[in-house]
Amino acid sequence: MKTFALITVLLLGGLLFYGTPDFPDWGDPASPASLHVSPYYIEHAVEDTAVPNIVTAVLADYRGYDTMFETAVIFSAGIACLFLLRVYRRKSARTRLYRHNLTGVTLRIAKGGKLPEGSAEFERIDSVWVPYDMIIKVTSRLIVPFVQLFALYVIAHGHHSPGGGFQGGVIFGAAIILYALSNDLRRAFRRLSEKAALLASAAGVLIYVGTGLLCLLLGGNFLDYSMLAEMLHTDAIMARSHGILIVEIGVGLAVMAVMVSLYYNLSSAGRHDEGL
Amino acid sequence: MGVYNLLVIFLLVSGLFFFFAGAVGILRFPDFYSRLHPAGKLDTMGLFTSMMAMALWVVHEWTLGAILTALKILLIVAFVFITSPTATHAIVDAGVRAGLLPWAKDSREDPT
Repeated sequence: MKTFALITVLLLGGLLFYGTPDFPDWGDPASPASLHVSPYYIEHAVEDTAVPNIVTAVLADYRGYDTMFETAVIFSAGIACLFLLRVYRRKSARTRLYRHNLTGVTLRIAKGGKLPEGSAEFERIDSVWVPYDMIIKVTSRLIVPFVQLFALYVIAHGHHSPGGGFQGGVIFGAAIILYALSNDLRRAFRRLSEKAALLASAAGVLIYVGTGLLCLLLGGNFLDYSMLAEMLHTDAIMARSHGILIVEIGVGLAVMAVMVSLYYNLSSAGRHDEGL
Repeated sequence: MGVYNLLVIFLLVSGLFFFFAGAVGILRFPDFYSRLHPAGKLDTMGLFTSMMAMALWVVHEWTLGAILTALKILLIVAFVFITSPTATHAIVDAGVRAGLLPWAKDSREDPT
């Protein structure tokens, strides 16, 4: 079996090597990739969409249909992870640990004992991993707002510099994951619950598809943002630019929420009670 | 202008030196905890000097845009100064919790 696999790999590799000379040269202007639509994008992107960053114009305007389904793929990845991992059955047999905040003493409650809500003296802690680290908490509290601000900047500035919804959404999700890592899962749920994360991921895709449908209803093609000109009180070119921004916000929302919900499910093995 | 360029070159080269020493230290130090020492400190220092060099090079022409860019570069330094020691601290903490003992000179077996 091993020799068979080796022969297959060698044959396939040889075929690939055999095909390599037929590739066009590096940066060849006569290559098929730079003949059909690329010159049009390069020459007309700015006057068509008023977006200096051609990559963003291609991604969210000329090929917006493609990007819409990329967003849908990310959304379905989050949903798939939820279906695979999420456990809804509560197991009450687990012992719980509580820390007395003033003295640092840890209490272990075997069964039934429950903390009164809103108690400031005791705090529930994870049973496997008990971080009580002021340095990490304070640092992450300091860093998280800046990371979030930077994420919003990356989303909003995708027109002019590298960035956009995917990158900004990932950075925003990373900020929330950092908060959940430095504190604990329950505290992160208080900021962004599971339901809110899932709703936000669906809402992001909805914003994207809804923009496309709105263009369709206003008489244009699907995702033809120039139809939004009257609604946005601008001309058709600026409307395409603004449409890209709307779509990028949807992408960012979806990516952020999916990142966070993936983290919630993976870190707690779907139980959502104790995590990293 | 010659002295200015020399200063930038000196800072850049010293930054590269710190990065190089950090890489050598990560490879050469005997155990987990001592390896974090070059990883945390020398990277921060190397980043500091090389970013200072870049900031100085950017304010070569004294315009508002250049100054803003230099300030952004210095902001990177500030964030790394806050986060890098914290990350090292967290890694050491995780090692202690996982029960890894520090290396001593008379340790028989080769720790990784």
